[in-house]
Amino acid sequence: MTWNLSSVTWWGGKMKLDASFIGLRTMVQFSIRKLLLHRRWAIVAILTLLVAGVMGYIATQSDAGISTASDMMNLLMLTFLLPVLALIYGASMIRNEIDDRSIIQVITSPLDRRVSYLGYYLSLAVVLSILLSIITAVGGTCFFLMNGWSDGATELILAFIAVQVIGAIVYSALFLVMGVALKQPIYLGLIYVFVWEGYVGSVPGAIGEYTIRHQLQVIASGLVQDGSIATIGGDGGVAAMVLIALSVVFVAIGAFLFQDKEVM
Amino acid sequence: MTIIIQAQNISKWYGKVIGLNNFSLTVESGITGIVGPNGAGKSTFFKLLTGNIKVNAGQLKVLDQQPWRNPAQLSQIGFCPDYDFLPGELDGREYLRFVGGLHGMKGPKLKGRIDEVLNVVGMTKDAERQMGGYSKGMRQRTKIAGSLLHDPRLLLLDEPLTGTDPVVRKELIDLIRDLNKVHGHDVIVSSHVLHEIERMTHMVALIYKGRAVASGNISEIRSLMSDHPHNIVIEGGGMVDLAKVLVSKPFTVSVELNPDRKRLMVKVDRPEQFFDSVPLLVEESRCQLERVESLDDDLESVFRYLVGW
Repeated sequence: MTWNLSSVTWWGGKMKLDASFIGLRTMVQFSIRKLLLHRRWAIVAILTLLVAGVMGYIATQSDAGISTASDMMNLLMLTFLLPVLALIYGASMIRNEIDDRSIIQVITSPLDRRVSYLGYYLSLAVVLSILLSIITAVGGTCFFLMNGWSDGATELILAFIAVQVIGAIVYSALFLVMGVALKQPIYLGLIYVFVWEGYVGSVPGAIGEYTIRHQLQVIASGLVQDGSIATIGGDGGVAAMVLIALSVVFVAIGAFLFQDKEVM
Repeated sequence: MTIIIQAQNISKWYGKVIGLNNFSLTVESGITGIVGPNGAGKSTFFKLLTGNIKVNAGQLKVLDQQPWRNPAQLSQIGFCPDYDFLPGELDGREYLRFVGGLHGMKGPKLKGRIDEVLNVVGMTKDAERQMGGYSKGMRQRTKIAGSLLHDPRLLLLDEPLTGTDPVVRKELIDLIRDLNKVHGHDVIVSSHVLHEIERMTHMVALIYKGRAVASGNISEIRSLMSDHPHNIVIEGGGMVDLAKVLVSKPFTVSVELNPDRKRLMVKVDRPEQFFDSVPLLVEESRCQLERVESLDDDLESVFRYLVGW
């Protein structure tokens, strides 16, 4: 039996490995550009200003300190902005292309649809990571500029940026698959964000632990020494493994759904 | 002749709506026109050929392979859909780089091929402009360039002439003919206007309500249609004299003069003969024509006649 490394049979479809890589790279490049140039950037800009304003205002309160900054970043960014932005960008990414039929160029190319899906996912995760990192950095910087740059301020901001990036990776996988599986993914996404993550996630006891938010907070508790988030119990390594496994499962499901999708 | 497409009793339905119904067609290499009124199933056929949707029944082979879940085959097929999907924020060259990348092309080879196809479709001059500012004709050319980029064996052009003005239409027709004659691509092109297809090829398939009602050489199909009476409206001055001349002609079935004497409704059984003899009719009757229009130009009536509905 001989192996030809320049040509592989990939999940049933046959395309040269280097050509698949070029296709994937092209998908990522153009999708990132499309996401960043989309008029949604206006929403992101408004949210960034809002976060900056709120963080700056809270910083001027008499009892505000680094613990307050930690609590606010947990509430504003990790609990609210992260899932909402991921929903806005993720659920509409492939769905909009199906609806406006611009997806035709991707699905009539020889690139395996599962590779195309991976391209969509990587672009989404990268763009969300960039946007959330900027918002977190701006919010944290505003707080500490108004409150005074205390010891541990930089570490706190960097810790929340790291957790936001992990969150972007897992939420991208979740909401992207919703966009492929559902015609109106935004409704189920909203229910998920506000009912499951928001309401159920706040319920004391074991059930609250079955949310992405909780797992992210467990990871954050290992990185942050200030604020109520530092008191959350759990193994950060296990939480990270759970979130990575979830992301892989969501991406795999999405890729197989996309491969079998009839595009009218 | 090589068979490039073989559809045997294929059916495709979307819920309760039937797209194609027990559809059978064999397409050989060269240029083939798919003609049918809007909603006949032309676009459904193209979606099946590109593997965007799967057949519910029957067998479909494109270049000897089944298209569904067969992305590798798309390296041999170029598809230009009937709708507009070009991203307005990209320029023509960037768009082609995107298409080339999806086909695994890169570097100087891709750049060279982009220059080549831009030249073929006559878009070299405007390739650096954002596509949002393109005219309909330029967008059609760019779409065709995208479908040509990877040098496919088979080109599928879905209604490429729709919405274009007569000058652009002529240029596109010439281009499509060249794609076969000069560049060697097999082409399947759809339209709802028979005479447009006739200017590109003599091989046509007529589709109506999800079925292939006739296929083959256009002259054979025309002879099938020749017994079908055509209604023609004529407007202008001297219509009474024209009516007198018309009734003496062998192709005239009936003539009806409007009370205002400025409008005639003529029923003919050989429309080509009628249109060929229009200059003679004007000379004999000394009428002044303002409008001559066939009411059967829409294919619906012709197809209804062909299928006996």
